[in-house]
Amino acid sequence: MFDFSEKTDALTMSDALHLLRRATVHPTWASAKQLAGKTPREAVNVIMQWGSTPQPPSWWNTKPEFTSFADAAKLWYELQSWWVKHVMAVPSVRERMVMMWQNHFTSDYITVYAGQWMLIQHQLLRRNAYDYQKMSNEILGDPAMLVYLNGNQSIKGNPNENFAREWFELFSLGVGNYTEQDIVDASRAFTGWRVIGLQGVYNAQLSDQGPKTIFGVTDTFDGPGVIALTLQQPACSRYVAGKLAKTFLESEPETATIQAIADKVKAANYQVEGVVKDILMSNGFYHADRRGALIKSPADLVMGLASVFNVPTLNSTYITAVMRALTQEPFYPPTVEGWKGHHAWITSSTFPQRQRYAESFIDGRETASSAKIKDEAGTNLTVDLVTFIKQLPDSNDAKKVVENVSMLMLSMPTTETQRAVLLDIMMAGAPLYEWDVNLPSAVSRIKFLIQAIVRMPEFQLM
Amino acid sequence: MNRRKFISSVAATGVAVTTLPTVVDSFAVKALAGGDPNLQQLLEQTDRVLVLIQLPGGNDGLNTIVPINDPLYYSRRPNIAIKKSATLKLTDDLGFHPSLSGFRDLYEQGKMAVVQGVTYPNPDRSHFRGTDIWLTATDPDIFGSTGWVGRYLSTIAPNYPTVLPEHPLAVQIGTSLSLGLLGNKGPMGISFRDPDEFYRLVNTGGAIEEVPSADGSDTPGGREVLFMRNVARSADVYAKIVKGAADSATNSTVQYPTTDIGAKLKVVSQLISGGLKTRVYLISYTGNNFDTHAGQTSTDDTSTGVHANLLRELGDGVSSFMQDMKNLGFDDKVAGMTFSEFGRRVAENGSIGTDHGTAAPLFVFGNDVNGKVYGNAPDLVNLDDRGDLLMQHDYRNIYASVLLQWFGTSRSVAQEVLLRDYSSTSIPIFKSPVSVQEQDAKHFSANAFKSISPNPASSIATIKMNLSPYSNSFITVSDMQGRVVRSSSIDSWSGQVAIDVQGMSAGTYVVTLQSDQQIAHTFLQVSR
Repeated sequence: MFDFSEKTDALTMSDALHLLRRATVHPTWASAKQLAGKTPREAVNVIMQWGSTPQPPSWWNTKPEFTSFADAAKLWYELQSWWVKHVMAVPSVRERMVMMWQNHFTSDYITVYAGQWMLIQHQLLRRNAYDYQKMSNEILGDPAMLVYLNGNQSIKGNPNENFAREWFELFSLGVGNYTEQDIVDASRAFTGWRVIGLQGVYNAQLSDQGPKTIFGVTDTFDGPGVIALTLQQPACSRYVAGKLAKTFLESEPETATIQAIADKVKAANYQVEGVVKDILMSNGFYHADRRGALIKSPADLVMGLASVFNVPTLNSTYITAVMRALTQEPFYPPTVEGWKGHHAWITSSTFPQRQRYAESFIDGRETASSAKIKDEAGTNLTVDLVTFIKQLPDSNDAKKVVENVSMLMLSMPTTETQRAVLLDIMMAGAPLYEWDVNLPSAVSRIKFLIQAIVRMPEFQLM
Repeated sequence: MNRRKFISSVAATGVAVTTLPTVVDSFAVKALAGGDPNLQQLLEQTDRVLVLIQLPGGNDGLNTIVPINDPLYYSRRPNIAIKKSATLKLTDDLGFHPSLSGFRDLYEQGKMAVVQGVTYPNPDRSHFRGTDIWLTATDPDIFGSTGWVGRYLSTIAPNYPTVLPEHPLAVQIGTSLSLGLLGNKGPMGISFRDPDEFYRLVNTGGAIEEVPSADGSDTPGGREVLFMRNVARSADVYAKIVKGAADSATNSTVQYPTTDIGAKLKVVSQLISGGLKTRVYLISYTGNNFDTHAGQTSTDDTSTGVHANLLRELGDGVSSFMQDMKNLGFDDKVAGMTFSEFGRRVAENGSIGTDHGTAAPLFVFGNDVNGKVYGNAPDLVNLDDRGDLLMQHDYRNIYASVLLQWFGTSRSVAQEVLLRDYSSTSIPIFKSPVSVQEQDAKHFSANAFKSISPNPASSIATIKMNLSPYSNSFITVSDMQGRVVRSSSIDSWSGQVAIDVQGMSAGTYVVTLQSDQQIAHTFLQVSR
């Protein structure tokens, strides 16, 4: 059973790093130092203030054109880069929430086609990141969603079931909590929407105003009516709670854990900001069982590593390409279910690829053989390993270096044996007293150490 | 000599088992193989390969195998029905979609089985539940976490992943790994897009000592570490073997279509011809492509459009693959099967598309396949309460056919894999069921039987065979429980025998021909 009681003792460095890994994609030593020593409540209040609203690309409110594939694709790639740059620029809990919702109310750019619509949906998710009820109501008339799940082709007398089915199955209740009949009648209630320019426009003439029976209630429901009715279902708060649990706690939360969160979601009337804060302040969140209980998404792996080594301006096209190779291309989930995550992230292909990415990055290269990593303008970037080590306390003590780098980069506590092996790898046969972070030889030693760490399966956990 | 003695004598005389033309039928294996390591070993040596092709999104069965004479089909689909004249001939009442010329060709060569109306009781219309149900082979109310292929492979390699077989048991071409390939100890297969890329990924890391894991920590994190170590280990071990196979492969003998499916089948062919002893290959389209809610066909010509392109990719890819296999001499060893989570609604929707439905045709192809249509043309009159097609075949009956007939598993293993005994409802899709030892038996098996007439039979069935005139031959007929219900010696000169089937209940029987040291199987249907 999840311990929801508030943790009142001060955060250690390890606790603070855990909080940062889960709540942001920026688990840096500097941020952890800022939070350590505070109570969880104080720390959470600090991080909830982080973040900013990004300026959308200039084209976001231009009329969607369907001239050529190449022109359309240009906007998709700009959208991806724009998002990556924003996430990289600034740590923010809201960005974690946006990532969760991007994997909930899904759309992909190929199906939707107009980059403007994808961006509008993204802004909808960011704006309402803590308000599931408002988000759901706005998603009804969202152009990208209307295109993605054929709502714009669903009219009175001939409804298209696509959105209604996914509304119940993937967006609100989960399987087993509705009937086929509920889908048929809900699809009638969702009729009447068209996409005109940048907007979803409701046309009562095209909508089915007749009586429908959903969850045993008969009424002339419209779309918002179905949403209101759905949100009253106990399964709905549980479904949203499950998403929160898998985002912040663990891959396979127990039913009781989900129910405990669901009770709070329900009580908060789907305004989940307070629920997120409660989770992040709880004793259960900091429990040893939660350490490493999530497998990093490609976003967490790639962007997290870049921020740990203070390379926030890493080329966004490159970041997108790595995420694509690791099966999480931004704005392109594989299906309406989104990315499955957890074990689906790790296969015989993606696991070695994750290792190679991280090793090369530490070496300052895009791949083992390629040129140096670059920033947006194409200028070479440096992964400054010496400065990275010097920010740690006791950086002239080899054993302390191993301890602190392990604590920073690995979410589970290391064993004595593991640290001993890592120390051997770093020293490469030299006696400990020869360690000096200021010697030129230190660079390759640090590289050995960190490359060994990123090769560990433990590094894939958060 | 009865079969039991025949087999035990093989073991007793100590003759090298691999050179003996021993073929064992599935249902006998449980009894015969009990405690017999030689026979178990034989069973494990089958070099037959299954290629699974997933059509994600729910393939529209009615526009794939078109009921060309059914006015209801045309009235329920005024905007998207495929014109009779555009279809490719399958039977008098059925036509292939015009894009499926590749499948039509295989059908004409007798290598394509079309199984009609495949689904399961109370079908689920969710993509994700539907897909999981097909992959896990569970009832719709069971949320399984292991795949049917994974469970089958677990029976072959019970100590996986502690002990890894020499070659990967299953390969998925792509970067993800399907639920279908998961056993209860994790993934039973590996996935990669390209053998060379896979090798480079695994082998370009610095040669630095590895950091040991913490000992058997039973925390959530500890369990994830164990999972990843196993994935990493199979990648390490197999990357080299896969590359070795790819490097020693004969070049493709055909020009594969430049499509996703074409490219993936090309890799499969490369690995098979390079000697990789993988049992199961899985390939899939990317994304939920078959989810044709809108714009399924062109508006001016229903035989073109999105769905037509997807089917062409399938048909052309498979026919290139089978031709390549034939040219390379592997076509007897390969069978393929398509699957999709559901078919689509009988009636079209208002957006030139179709919503989620239920039963649909499934395809099994290969030299050893009894090329025909199993089941009836879809019944568009008697539908379920949502207007969807009723089931003709449970998908697990076909899985059972694959396991029992193609892979030669015992009935008990098939039951363990499919979680229920489907042996009596399996469909006689394969011609030479269960040959444990292909090399010597296959030529005989493939041609041993000339005909069974009539089949189905209700009184007398005449079986004609190709026999050498001086052979010492006899025939048995067994029910699906393995009980011999008829047996007879054969006059080799005439090469035929009449079997009285009166008194046998309706159903499928296995006919076993033993001639000197050769053995072959076929199916006999009895109707009442």
